[in-house]
Amino acid sequence: MYKLYKDPITGKEQGVVRLADMAYIPFDPANVDYQQYLKWVSEGNTPLPAENN
Amino acid sequence: MSYGQVNADVIGTSVAGSNLGAGNASIMKNRIINGAFTVSQYNGTSSTTPSATSSNIYVIDRFSVLNTQASKLTYQQTTTAPAGFQNSFEVSVASTATVGSGDVFAFRQAVEAYNCQDLAWGTANAKTVTLSFWVQSSVTGTFGGAIQNYTASRSYPFTYTISSANTWTQISITIVGDTGSTWNTGNTGYMFVTWSLGTGTSNSGTAGTWANSGYWSATGATSVVGTSGATFYITGVQLEVGSSATGYEYRQYGQELALCQRYYEMSFSQGTAPANGVGNTYKFIASALNGGTSYVNAGVYCTEKRATPTMTFYRTDNGSSNGQPAYYSGGWNNGSSISPTSGTRAFYFNFAGTFSGLSCYFVDVAWTSSAEL
Repeated sequence: MYKLYKDPITGKEQGVVRLADMAYIPFDPANVDYQQYLKWVSEGNTPLPAENN
Repeated sequence: MSYGQVNADVIGTSVAGSNLGAGNASIMKNRIINGAFTVSQYNGTSSTTPSATSSNIYVIDRFSVLNTQASKLTYQQTTTAPAGFQNSFEVSVASTATVGSGDVFAFRQAVEAYNCQDLAWGTANAKTVTLSFWVQSSVTGTFGGAIQNYTASRSYPFTYTISSANTWTQISITIVGDTGSTWNTGNTGYMFVTWSLGTGTSNSGTAGTWANSGYWSATGATSVVGTSGATFYITGVQLEVGSSATGYEYRQYGQELALCQRYYEMSFSQGTAPANGVGNTYKFIASALNGGTSYVNAGVYCTEKRATPTMTFYRTDNGSSNGQPAYYSGGWNNGSSISPTSGTRAFYFNFAGTFSGLSCYFVDVAWTSSAEL
């Protein structure tokens, strides 16, 4: 399960938190954790929304 | 005008001599990083027995494992090594497994494409390479492995033989360059170099030839994971251009660590496995109050990362909340709601706490950043 998160300075969504180990994964296509997240989404899953911070 | 003296004999020997790259010459000929297993950021000197079955579990710097059955193999940096080496990578059987046709038990290194462009694989000019390593096992027989392209659509299974149990043996395998398929460029992966410890028939192919499949091993290779209490050690791993193995390219520890840190870096001291509450952390001075309720802190990586990394945070020995920093205000307090932003060179993180005015605070935080392939 993943949850979107925002940059608290800019307020922009910038990545997802992998809730299993609280790893902060950036939206970078070269990041293998992000590639695994995209695969998870392609399987029909949806991340939790980001908190307002 | 004089510009000093040049020792022409030394230059002549290095450039014109036929032994360039031989012996223990260090000219970055080895495409494998941490081939002598001296750097161990993930687990220090502790052993690990992965219970997950994903394909990207790093157990020691630059080497990941795949086990399609959980908790069967244990991995560890050890000081068991052949003459001339300080460390090796030990694999031991924690629980035996029967290898089914679709099973894979293997470890491998993904080599970045930036470091392989001169190989020219996928062209008519593809260069031959030689893979060499020292190996020791309690099991004898014909072992297997493979070179795979990064998309696992092309592979070259290979075999090697261990004839004497528990005896260090140097292996050399020459692999003709692939003239077919397409090989990556840039900061993505170029190839996987894989050693099998037990691979099923559907993931094994004919040794000594390129195939349009992502085989992990060679057909008929020995299964280590099927033998109770079996051990397997490897070190001195080198992949170089040419049709014969030359002496292992020794690198200074600092060089090897920096090469590893392109893919994984941590705030913990070398030799300490990242975990909550073990200390060995970075201390920051909080420098920017953000909106009156949280602080922003910045850090710079020792080595620029291959890609924007995944960050994970840990409780320090001054805090009590896992994954959160601690800050000093008349005593150590727990921060909360940490939120990091990282680039390839540096990062900053924001966290919440109870702050007063524009005071500065010492912040204690532990982290890892992963840009592995």
